[in-house]
Amino acid sequence: MRRIQPRQNYLGATGWLWAGNYRLERYLYILHRVTGLGILLFLLIHLIMTTVFRIQGQDVWEATMRILHNPWFKIGEYLVVVALIYHALNGLRLVLQELGFLMGKPTPPIYPYQDSLRKKRLWTMAMIGIIIILCLVFFYDFIAGGW
Amino acid sequence: MRHTYLWFIQLVTGVLIAVLAGIHMVMQHLDKVLGFFGVNLNDPTSWHSMVERSREVIWASIYIALLAVVLYHALNGLRNIILELTPSARTERIVTWTIIAFGIVIFIWASYVPIALLSA
Repeated sequence: MRRIQPRQNYLGATGWLWAGNYRLERYLYILHRVTGLGILLFLLIHLIMTTVFRIQGQDVWEATMRILHNPWFKIGEYLVVVALIYHALNGLRLVLQELGFLMGKPTPPIYPYQDSLRKKRLWTMAMIGIIIILCLVFFYDFIAGGW
Repeated sequence: MRHTYLWFIQLVTGVLIAVLAGIHMVMQHLDKVLGFFGVNLNDPTSWHSMVERSREVIWASIYIALLAVVLYHALNGLRNIILELTPSARTERIVTWTIIAFGIVIFIWASYVPIALLSA
């Protein structure tokens, strides 16, 4: 019989996507991870652009900026903005929860039971509202900036 | 205990990035919305305003600080994701040192450029 090691993750990479009966917060967690990896990819491209292309002078920089003003790059840029807004606000929620805020006071387990999820879910909804508002503000700026 | 410290630094750098990158995003991209509130930054992505910024020590310091904080947060996050696959201790060491070397190379290159541009 195979012994299960204490540190063994036997779901592997598929456990990143599905490991049981998920609620809203667990999907937010997956989205947090996906946006984080997307922002890391953008960061590398951004650093190459602002160093390698930046030090070659004005002509190369302006040619690069012309390529980046292509509508497809603008759509990609907007997706990066959305990912950053989501990752930042969800991250702030996670930090506050880690430090013990947003969860309500602990109560004795007497019927009818109270769980901290009810308190947390309200803040989660508020966070989603702020994310949508910020995404709309940046969307207005992208439209007004002529793409 | 080491993992606790790494995670705590991840939280602190996360909050710092939310502030610094928030300012970065608003300054570089929200020019139309800022114009509505009467703030005019004069096209911050154009070549001339960029050259003006890169001659000031304060901007180079802010960029290097943001770079260090972002690199830690991003690469530690990537390492956490990879190590969730619970590889062997040897693979874990390889992953850790590859990521540290990658981070150091990127930090040296991308902080050398703004310093070199100060006198350009």
